[in-house]
Amino acid sequence: MDNATQAILIELDAETRSKQLNRAETWFRNVQLTQASYRQLLEDTVEKIEEPHIKQYLAEMAARAKRHEEKLPELFAAIDRAPSDTRTLLGQVAGKARQALGDFIALAGGTAGPWQDLHQVYLSNYNSMSALAVAEQLGLALGIPRVVEITFGMVAEKSTDQLLLQECVLEMSSMAILYKDGF
Amino acid sequence: MKKDIAAEHTNTGFQISRTRLQARPATPESFHNLPTPARPLVDASDVVVPEGYTVEPVMAGLSFPTDITFADDGTIFISEGGSSWPTRPYMPARVIVRHPDGGTEAITMNVQAGPRGIAWRDGELYMALKGGYHMQIAKYNLETGKLSILIDQLPSGGWHEPGGPVFGPDGMMYFGNGSVSQQGVPLPAGFTVDLAKHPNAHDVPGQDVTLTGNNVRSRDPRLPYPYLVETGAFKPFGTPARKGEVIKGELFCNSAVWRSRPDGTDVELLAWGIRNPFGMAISETGDLYVSDNDFEEKGERAMAEDPDRIWHIKNARQPFGSIRTPDWYGFPDICGDGLPVNHEKHLPSRGTKAELLLENPPPWAGPAAFLEQPHSCLCKMDFCKSDAFGFKGELFVAEWGTLAPLNSPRPEDLSHGFRVIRVDVKSGTAQPFFHNRKMGPASSFGGGGIERPVSCRFSPDGKSLYVLDFGVVQVTPGNMFGYAHTGVLWKITRKEDQNG
Repeated sequence: MDNATQAILIELDAETRSKQLNRAETWFRNVQLTQASYRQLLEDTVEKIEEPHIKQYLAEMAARAKRHEEKLPELFAAIDRAPSDTRTLLGQVAGKARQALGDFIALAGGTAGPWQDLHQVYLSNYNSMSALAVAEQLGLALGIPRVVEITFGMVAEKSTDQLLLQECVLEMSSMAILYKDGF
Repeated sequence: MKKDIAAEHTNTGFQISRTRLQARPATPESFHNLPTPARPLVDASDVVVPEGYTVEPVMAGLSFPTDITFADDGTIFISEGGSSWPTRPYMPARVIVRHPDGGTEAITMNVQAGPRGIAWRDGELYMALKGGYHMQIAKYNLETGKLSILIDQLPSGGWHEPGGPVFGPDGMMYFGNGSVSQQGVPLPAGFTVDLAKHPNAHDVPGQDVTLTGNNVRSRDPRLPYPYLVETGAFKPFGTPARKGEVIKGELFCNSAVWRSRPDGTDVELLAWGIRNPFGMAISETGDLYVSDNDFEEKGERAMAEDPDRIWHIKNARQPFGSIRTPDWYGFPDICGDGLPVNHEKHLPSRGTKAELLLENPPPWAGPAAFLEQPHSCLCKMDFCKSDAFGFKGELFVAEWGTLAPLNSPRPEDLSHGFRVIRVDVKSGTAQPFFHNRKMGPASSFGGGGIERPVSCRFSPDGKSLYVLDFGVVQVTPGNMFGYAHTGVLWKITRKEDQNG
């Protein structure tokens, strides 16, 4: 059994490792994009809402979203890669956000006021939270605790925000659909 | 025209094939500079084996390995469990094959969860697989590529594991299937295993049982609002039981151990009431022993200080086909020490105390052959059958190690397990055999030693004990994280001058 027990490494060679880290890097760019898109939509929506409580909830959420976005370059550092250029990213965000909003408006006919924007934020947070949760799985799959340390707390905060967004969207839906009024 | 949905879902197996694997030779230095930050160092000088033995790492980079076995020619097989403990991330469910000439390949399979136990017999690889609502026993012929599903009716989809398969001197196949529930009824703590993926999963008894109707109250994490629900024994989550209700015993139950012919026919239920019969081993005299893990001290049905245990399955000594009534080993109402779960010794300091679920339960088949510290997490095991290694006749048991503080609030539980012990099943005593210089998983103190032993098996020549180390799993009071590519295979050999 001498040859059979000559020590070996499974999928830990430099070539395999580099290939998998490159694939993780591509996903992390997706995380940056979805989080920037969400933060931008959220900031725009805060301005449109007059009801003081919901406005405050969303303003606090926007501060968290900004903090999360600013932390994302650390994901790239954890895999020894460089983060995306912010200006390029913002250009992509603008295009993607317009497209996403257009898709949504097609589905949400008959509503009025900022509720459409709020619902869009709700879906956008879910999208970016899912992207972050996937990044966490990649950290586990690659054996890199730092990726998990960065993502787990953010996913937990976004999950908490998601519950609050859901409550606001459901509460105000009758106002938007039946009364066709803002809030 | 009505479609026959059931017929369309007949189990014809899954895609399986032999594929190339990225495996490179390792130098001693490379074990000191691994590219996985979760486990950057593997160092045999950080572990302890008895005087007269040497230990060395022979494989690193494994992802959630579950079992090891050998072909007669020395080929090494290592199963990687896919979606395992915890269920995320899923890594490729496969069996790594290391040939005697040093060639390495993988048997990959397109199946969620994955292989949890493997055995080699008469030129074929037998596998116990988890995934979906039923665990499977399958065999794969490496020469022809033929996959045969031998058994696929064992109710699963919950927390605990398949056991075996192992083969006895009688030529029969022995296998097990753990309970769906952790604590006697499905509860929110096992969310990603049962409630999210298998909301209809439930335990099934091996004999007719009458229920007390003591349901367990919890919140339902699946619903948009956290509704309160009641769950009864042998019921899916959220389904209460009635006092006096009789649940029919089934041949294909769980928390159980069976034997059959090697082709999976003539299945015979030997025992049930075994919470997690993951480790199974047969002595030279033909006695079957099964490892089992304790209840947890948390949640809505909590028990404290339930010992881990090894059961002697006495029915395995009876002639094949002669068992009319299976033995009952206590799950879901009796702890490893034979005391009921609501005994004052097992009252929890955290969580809600347990109530009994069974009225007039069957006779208890204990006592256990061996009791171990709570939460040691006894796993796979093997009898030493050779004088070449020493300790012939003793049972070597891998201890995966505690999930405290997640499953126990007691500080003393934090270091239980993380080692291999040798058990004298006649006296019910044990000695540590392979452990870190400092107890606990190496990653918790920055060492290069053992993380979590999951299986151990003697080589065909009997000279070496191979210990499969699952890798890094970090545990907090609220969750657990498993890191892929951190599993290691250790080889322990008796020094030549000590070799009898």
